[in-house]
Amino acid sequence: MSVATADGLTLAGRDRRFGLLLTAPGLLSLLIVITFPLFFTLFTSVHDYTLLTPNYDTFVGLENYEEALDEEYLPGSLWVTTKFVLASIVIEFIIGFAVALSLHATRRFGSIYYLILLAPLLINPVVVGLLWRMLLHSELGIINYAIGLVGISPVSWLGDADIAFWTVVLTDIWHQVSFMAILLVAGLAALPREPYEAARMDGASTISCFIHITLPLMRPVIAVAILLRMIFAIKTFDIVFIMTKGGPGTATDLISYYIYRAAFFGLDIGRASAMAAGLLVIIVALTAYLYRYMNSLK
Amino acid sequence: MTANVRGTMRKRGRWKFLSWLLPHSILVVFSAVILLPLLWLLRVALTDKSTAYKIPPEWGQASLDNFIEIFTGYPFFSYFLNSVTVALGATVIALPLAVGMAYAFARYNTGGLSLRLFVLSSQMLPPVILVLPLFTLFLKASLINTLPGLILAHMTLSLPFLAWLLVAFFDGEVATLEQAARTDGATRFQALVRITLPVAAPGILAAGLLAFLLSWNEFLYALILSGPHTNTLPVGLSSFQTHRGVDIALLSAATICAILPAMVLLPFLRRYLIRGLSLGALK
Repeated sequence: MSVATADGLTLAGRDRRFGLLLTAPGLLSLLIVITFPLFFTLFTSVHDYTLLTPNYDTFVGLENYEEALDEEYLPGSLWVTTKFVLASIVIEFIIGFAVALSLHATRRFGSIYYLILLAPLLINPVVVGLLWRMLLHSELGIINYAIGLVGISPVSWLGDADIAFWTVVLTDIWHQVSFMAILLVAGLAALPREPYEAARMDGASTISCFIHITLPLMRPVIAVAILLRMIFAIKTFDIVFIMTKGGPGTATDLISYYIYRAAFFGLDIGRASAMAAGLLVIIVALTAYLYRYMNSLK
Repeated sequence: MTANVRGTMRKRGRWKFLSWLLPHSILVVFSAVILLPLLWLLRVALTDKSTAYKIPPEWGQASLDNFIEIFTGYPFFSYFLNSVTVALGATVIALPLAVGMAYAFARYNTGGLSLRLFVLSSQMLPPVILVLPLFTLFLKASLINTLPGLILAHMTLSLPFLAWLLVAFFDGEVATLEQAARTDGATRFQALVRITLPVAAPGILAAGLLAFLLSWNEFLYALILSGPHTNTLPVGLSSFQTHRGVDIALLSAATICAILPAMVLLPFLRRYLIRGLSLGALK
């Protein structure tokens, strides 16, 4: 039963009003700094807006979208991005899980390991790129010197197209693998103990416990960790800018860098906006899926 | 004791040793892979400029000359100041806005699931999507190459991040305390200001520090939207490599300065980091 109050609102109505009052300033700011620019992207994407003719005089409809789809190097960039996302996530998951299980099984020095594990996550990605560029320099880098000591000839880490791709992947892994690891550690710490005790009574081995108990129970955490990393990996820009500028050739031309180049080197903001709109659809779809999944867990 | 039992015990002992050795080996190797590059960076930063290049490496006298030179001979102090201004500005403006939103989500479910999805999607946006319209809009509004413009751009990161993250800090025990205060006759506003905010303060502070680091580390917006006088530290670092070849000793000193705030804050943030990184999905 609702109770009317002095100002003619029910209690629930007053709650709603208070909530709206608190939300309004933040929501308004979000609309101004995010939604409005996003609509502006869509607006730009149907105009012939370049940095040489920076105006909205010529409406071109879907021409920018058609041009973008016809671009010679766009499929390549999408392929490189897909490869990058898959490779880094798979390797991060394997290393991350190994580290998480080890940390879970360790009592001594646990907090020291954990602190070291966290460190890369707070490091500026530009610094990560610069650091590994320096370490991997063909002649002056310490890595080539170190592998030389054990008789391996110097590697052109960033100069060879096939190797450069993996160099960027490994650099990103160095930076981000801890993300996977600490999410999985948190998941392991929250697991119930009873299933393990029961299984041990039945004489189950450690490995079969892992496969039949740990993995199924960890499924939600694994899914969230992988989805989050996937969205973040698609956004990767900084280390490519610092380490390879998309090269050699187009070996590391991730989609964010590709759009950046189209806009600020190709000077065609209209076409870049069309590609950005496409990327937006992908990211929002992934986020909506993640959100639905997270809600289904509650 | 029969030989059989002794055999089992030895096996168990070996197994126990192995299950101790394996995790520690993995963790030691992993820690080394993370720490050694950072220690090397520190070594180069403390070495004089010509020795820093030498391969095989030589160990010279450690000195702070490089650190002094980047601040006296290069505009690093200005980069530093710009970074602090922008990160602080974006965080301080976004924090109260986000607290209001997050609190309304947690307590009154304002806007329902769709508004929350909107906030989450905003946070997931690749910067390259937003930087295009911000660039053209800022050109028109003369906000390009200005610190207020950059603060506005960084709010696109910190506001949704904080609004999403803070929801979790208003759930749970605080809600019960607040309910008690309401029963005792406190208004909604009084309950929020006198009970909830003080209780949630440590979490809010930690979230604020994470948001500060988020914009401290931001690169793409600053690259496109800032100019010579408003460059932030990451942009300064990225252009440093091309000035006059790469002076790795100076560059290393500068990068150390760039990651120092994060490393100092790390121990304080460790409790909140998981929540922040998993966007509240995990505690």
